[in-house]
Amino acid sequence: MIATQEAGLAALVEKYPDVPKSIILKLDLQRRGIAFTEATAEATNAPYYRGPEQTAFSTKDPSRRPLPGPMILRDGTTVISSPVQGQFADPYTIDFVDGRFFVIDRGEIIDEVDFSPRPEFYGKLTSRGVPMESIAWSRPQRLDIYPYRYCHYWDTRDQCKFCAFFTDLKQQKQLAGASYARVVHPEDIYETVREALKEPGRYSQINLTAGTDYSGEVPFEKEVDRYIEVLQAIGRNFKTRRFPSQLIAPAYSKRQVKRLYDETGLSSYCPDIEVWDKELFRWICSGKEKWFGRDYWINSAIDAVEIFGKGNVYTNFVAGVEFSRPHGFTSIEQALDSNFEACEFFAKHGVIYLSLVWVPWKGTGLGDEQQPPLEYYVRLIRGLVEIRRHYGLASDNDDFKHCGNHGDSDLERLN
Amino acid sequence: MSKLPEELVELLNDPTSGKVVGSTDEDGTPHLVTKGSLTTLDGETIVFAEGFEGTQSNRNLIRSIWFDRKVSINVTRGMTSYQIKGRPYKYLITGRIFRTMIERARQRRGPEADIAGVWVIAPEEVRNESPGYRAGLAAEKRGHFHNHLDVLRAQG
Repeated sequence: MIATQEAGLAALVEKYPDVPKSIILKLDLQRRGIAFTEATAEATNAPYYRGPEQTAFSTKDPSRRPLPGPMILRDGTTVISSPVQGQFADPYTIDFVDGRFFVIDRGEIIDEVDFSPRPEFYGKLTSRGVPMESIAWSRPQRLDIYPYRYCHYWDTRDQCKFCAFFTDLKQQKQLAGASYARVVHPEDIYETVREALKEPGRYSQINLTAGTDYSGEVPFEKEVDRYIEVLQAIGRNFKTRRFPSQLIAPAYSKRQVKRLYDETGLSSYCPDIEVWDKELFRWICSGKEKWFGRDYWINSAIDAVEIFGKGNVYTNFVAGVEFSRPHGFTSIEQALDSNFEACEFFAKHGVIYLSLVWVPWKGTGLGDEQQPPLEYYVRLIRGLVEIRRHYGLASDNDDFKHCGNHGDSDLERLN
Repeated sequence: MSKLPEELVELLNDPTSGKVVGSTDEDGTPHLVTKGSLTTLDGETIVFAEGFEGTQSNRNLIRSIWFDRKVSINVTRGMTSYQIKGRPYKYLITGRIFRTMIERARQRRGPEADIAGVWVIAPEEVRNESPGYRAGLAAEKRGHFHNHLDVLRAQG
């Protein structure tokens, strides 16, 4: 692993005065993880905050208290981080004192935080009797829907090596069937969205993603058909043809992407490249390499700009995974150069290359790896934002209030 | 946080009061905007809705909460006027206060009115800027030598 003296939050706030403390804190909350005190666990289990019974990352376990929605920092920055026991070596503590939540680090209060409140549709059923909180999950301003809850990369052990999505990591298998219905019925999705929209001002975006299904006479055709059916069902809730939405999905052919745009109200497409370096992509994302390789993924994103427009096509990368042994980078400079090269390449073509902090979830193929230091992430997001600004790009879609995973788009609020 | 003066709270809660928020841009240039939604919900902090994320005013407020800069607020009705200096403490994108403010916006401006977020300002200094009050203070501090004589002229 990279040999570097670790600088913490306070030192980096001083060293990088152009990066707000809240964003450096967010990066570190995601990187080091969080732990709840008993007071926080109780307070977030109260009706105002209580989360869904299960999520894409958890099994249904009646003995476990549901986790609340994402954390929100004072400036509105959303933070996706879960207090998973036994996962983090040195987590921040989230405490609840006198009716308010605080981030605590080694006994010192860092800042006040809050959690996204429980949406009003949780606890309700669709007309088919399906709990709506099993259909869609709520972020502060985004509704997340996962229409297909199985990743077929697992069938050939070609899952992305960092991924913990819909997976029982102890048993190393996909959860669909045991804890989830594999396919969600479009009418259940339609009704859940209809119910969610009754809450004034609660959502300004709908996000779809799912496990990968490459089946079909033409590869991925079944998955594209499924997304079209679901997006059309969601679209019946709106009076405008296009509605604020994003699809995080595999790389599709230009014809398939055009179908998604022409036949639905989808407004943004995001085929995730995950890691830019050619050899690392082949090693870490062997499923994506098989269906159909790095160049295909890159070209899919670029071609999609002709359809969705500049700035409406994204590709996420899992920042930090590029250091994984034995093939990963051994210096921060190498990793920054690689990611800045990728950002510039995509930006030239109107695609936003967006970072998220890698958490080496125990049980994944890279679960024993170490994350890079916090300073890497600070330097990374500064560089990415600078490059995108040069090309007239900024993320309005995957931003501080909709996603909660991207320090670089948080920083673009001043653009 | 301490309670705001009762007269100011009454002014803040009156929809007919003029309400202005002053912030500064990157190079320190002042930027003033009227905020009809500006009010207090708890008698201690000031809240107002922001309509759009990308406005100059919103960017200034984000810069203020990020880099610890003050903002200034003026509330005026007739000859009563207050200035409040403070710091943005929170930007709310969901939750009870957000809900209250979007519902108020829709009551005022119709069912399709929208807001992007709600700023919560923590006051640090409250100044009564009413002309009558300021005149009394000025006279006390500087004496009579700055008054125009025609104002002091005997009638008849």
